[in-house]
Amino acid sequence: MKKHRLSWEQIERVVYTVNSFYFLVSCVILAVLPASLSKEIPESHRKKNVKHTIGSAFGVTAVFSVMDLIRQYYTMDLPLQEIKSALEKVQHGDFDIHLSRHFGSQFSQFNPIIDDVNLMAKELNSMEMLRSDLIANISHEVKTPLSSILNYGTLLQQKDLSEEKRLEYAKAITEQTRRLSSLVSGILRLNRLENQNIYPNRQEYDLSEQLIECLLSFEDSWEQKSITIVNEIDDDVKVNADPELLGLIWNNLFSNAVKYCNEGGTIRVRLKEQDDQVTVTVQDDGIGMTQETVNHIFDKFYQGDTSHASEGNGLGMSMVREILNIVGGDIAISSTLGEGSQFVVTVPQEMP
Amino acid sequence: MFQILIVEDDRALNNSIREHLILNGYSAVSAYEADTAFSVLHRQPIDLILSDIMMPEIDGIEFASRVRNLSSTIPILFLTARDDFETKKLSYQTGIDEYLVKPIDLDELVLHIQALLRRSQMASQREISVGNVHLNVDETTLQIDGEDVPITFREFSLLRKFLTNPGKTFTRAQLMDEFWSIDTDSSPRTVDVYMTKLRNKLAKAEGFSIATVYGLGYKAVLK
Repeated sequence: MKKHRLSWEQIERVVYTVNSFYFLVSCVILAVLPASLSKEIPESHRKKNVKHTIGSAFGVTAVFSVMDLIRQYYTMDLPLQEIKSALEKVQHGDFDIHLSRHFGSQFSQFNPIIDDVNLMAKELNSMEMLRSDLIANISHEVKTPLSSILNYGTLLQQKDLSEEKRLEYAKAITEQTRRLSSLVSGILRLNRLENQNIYPNRQEYDLSEQLIECLLSFEDSWEQKSITIVNEIDDDVKVNADPELLGLIWNNLFSNAVKYCNEGGTIRVRLKEQDDQVTVTVQDDGIGMTQETVNHIFDKFYQGDTSHASEGNGLGMSMVREILNIVGGDIAISSTLGEGSQFVVTVPQEMP
Repeated sequence: MFQILIVEDDRALNNSIREHLILNGYSAVSAYEADTAFSVLHRQPIDLILSDIMMPEIDGIEFASRVRNLSSTIPILFLTARDDFETKKLSYQTGIDEYLVKPIDLDELVLHIQALLRRSQMASQREISVGNVHLNVDETTLQIDGEDVPITFREFSLLRKFLTNPGKTFTRAQLMDEFWSIDTDSSPRTVDVYMTKLRNKLAKAEGFSIATVYGLGYKAVLK
């Protein structure tokens, strides 16, 4: 038996157990006693019987009590102690615990608790790892433009700088600052989303109109590149969902489509409703992506084509995935390098 | 020269904006808090207000709300670090005209200011001329090449909206919201019909055309 301090509860339990058994045994004795005290049995035997009976009572009580206390130890005290120390570890930040279910199927009352504790520790552990990874990544993403700014700032302080150089350095600083700012906004938004066991703001609204207005907000960009838009948006498609959340998805898809589309290219936007679901397809005939990029597209900070690095922050698709998780939607991506990409987003018409 | 009031408690930012606006041909005044801003507003005519939201004592939204009590037309532009939807919604509900998120390129800021000023000017203009087309707002009449062209009130309002926002695309739903009352039995198709009629009336117009943008909406394109 493992040593453990006796607590008041445990002493109580022992007393209670003993009492219970004694009570049980006494009842049995009481039932049997009259027989051993009956007038037919000689006096001396009677006295012996009583002594034996009382002796047996104590004896049996003791045996049963000890047996039951041992049972209690193995089925309750031990597992409880293990769970308690595991939880204490978790409380102190050590998530590397695992409880085994070795108490047999008859003593399965603790198994659900054990399973839950194991699951909880595992989740906390992976969250902790993700968090440190994320913070390391963010630090890196922030430090890079910051060091550029520092360098160009130092360079700008040179005496007798040519006008050309001065402009070049100043532009670089502005550019990097813009990039940093976009990164910060992106991180904040993503953070808000991830923490939001959000109670999304459900409302009935016209998705066709939202899609059109969102697309039009990129009009200047697509006109600049002489991009043609193929409008296959069905009219009057209504949804019951959070317009702000969905709007972020469309924004991202359109932004990418315009960014990666070539001069004079085409972007096709389709909206259909079918079987309580709506499908939004955004297709471009631009530079496309490699399979590698597609595989990593949802990773934070991942930018497959770094020639456009300064235009984005690599967080867009993470956010899209986060939102789709929240609203119960899905996304399918297909792409061919040099030919274009297609993003198909499916969202339930009634957000869960 | 247009007078712009900059309300922002960060002095460095406020001053850099003021400098840039002056370089771009505007006249600008800095106020580092709402109270000073009110004094300025009472003292001199201001054409546009540029304001932050997060300020000590009286915040931007409170400030804008009080300004709206004084003037429902003066253009107000928010320039703020807050990029959450709730704040944006509240700001627009208070009656501001444009919501920009910091940091913003100063040149881009000037573009927004220009657009706001032009819109505000045109909104107060009683006469609009583009090419050989002339609109008289008070009488809601249309003249092309000096000749009167019969036009309904709704058609006039539509045309005026397009001409005062050249290059901006409006969706059918947006046009319907503005020019068709809710109880009429109209659909986006109705807007299309009206636009066709309007285009017919503008057959002889030069200087601009009404374009359909990939079926997403309509806009006036200046030639």
